[in-house]
Amino acid sequence: MAAAAMNTDVEAVDFDSDDDDLMDEEGAIEPSPAPAPRLRSTIAGGGGGDDDAPRKTKGRGFREDPNSSSAHRDSRLAGAGRSGFDALASDGGPGPVRSIEGWIVLVTGVHEEAQEEDLHNIFGDYGQVKNLHLNLDRRTGFVKGYALIEYENFEQAKRAIRESDGTELLSQIISVDWAFSSGPVKQRNTRKRKLQA
Amino acid sequence: GAGNGAGEEAGGAEFYLRYYVGHKGKFGHEFLEFEFRPDGKLRYANNSNYKNDTMIRKEVFVSPSVLREARRIIQDSEIMKEDDSNWPEPDRVGRQELEIVMGNEHISFTTSKIGSLVDVQTSKDPEGLRIFYYLVQSRGIDAWYKLGRPFMAFPMGD
Repeated sequence: MAAAAMNTDVEAVDFDSDDDDLMDEEGAIEPSPAPAPRLRSTIAGGGGGDDDAPRKTKGRGFREDPNSSSAHRDSRLAGAGRSGFDALASDGGPGPVRSIEGWIVLVTGVHEEAQEEDLHNIFGDYGQVKNLHLNLDRRTGFVKGYALIEYENFEQAKRAIRESDGTELLSQIISVDWAFSSGPVKQRNTRKRKLQA
Repeated sequence: GAGNGAGEEAGGAEFYLRYYVGHKGKFGHEFLEFEFRPDGKLRYANNSNYKNDTMIRKEVFVSPSVLREARRIIQDSEIMKEDDSNWPEPDRVGRQELEIVMGNEHISFTTSKIGSLVDVQTSKDPEGLRIFYYLVQSRGIDAWYKLGRPFMAFPMGD
């Protein structure tokens, strides 16, 4: 079971200008301690050097001068070695992790006519639903996609996942899984895949 | 259920998403920004000088299922086919940025804040801007950052 270590405070953390983020692609320009640092995009624009094919890019964001005052791209999210961000539990490998309040489960494939009540009917069986969020497509008024369900206990959430994943809601199969993880997603190296092809 | 990593999707195509909305006003630079990285790390920064000079920065790993759903929503919206050339430029009222990598396509759009559908309909690219508007506000991208708060203040109830 994932470590329950977590930040219990919601309060703000002071900006930390450390810039030890290995994923930063831009030059290591140390910003002056800005009062409101932003994240820095950690994806290289216009085709990473490792890619077999350069990426097609589109948008004003590529044409803007990154040093212009209007852009202020430097270090909004950057400076984010662990020191810059409050991290939610990390004990290495991927696995479920508890948020401050409880255990959050993601339900996808939710039928567009589903109501909150339908979700309560299903997920209330596994334990008290502390919080429920249904993502609604405002354009049509219908639900399109997903819901987040929170339980107090790990066992409740785990059972909800185990027993409802792959079942039907309004004749449509839902997938149910943890929302959070204690570590990074295992990624296949796309270059290796291409070489193997 | 707990499927394969999101890297399995679309033949192992990479997925990255970053969204920013903010403005510089009399209270300083107020903004909200978050980023989903290919490895599942969700970083989030929120600066609101309105209440006091607080800056919140959080990070958490989301599951492959979350990445998969985020990717699906993006694909569904067809935002990758759009272009911000004719969208209103950021202005004194505010600025939005949406940067997405999906496979070998990388978009980085900037525009002003959008108050309502009227702003969309009277713009030079109502079709494209509508897609952006609905993606951000309807699909709730502007609320995805809430996943990043350890407190997990749920998207509803805010």
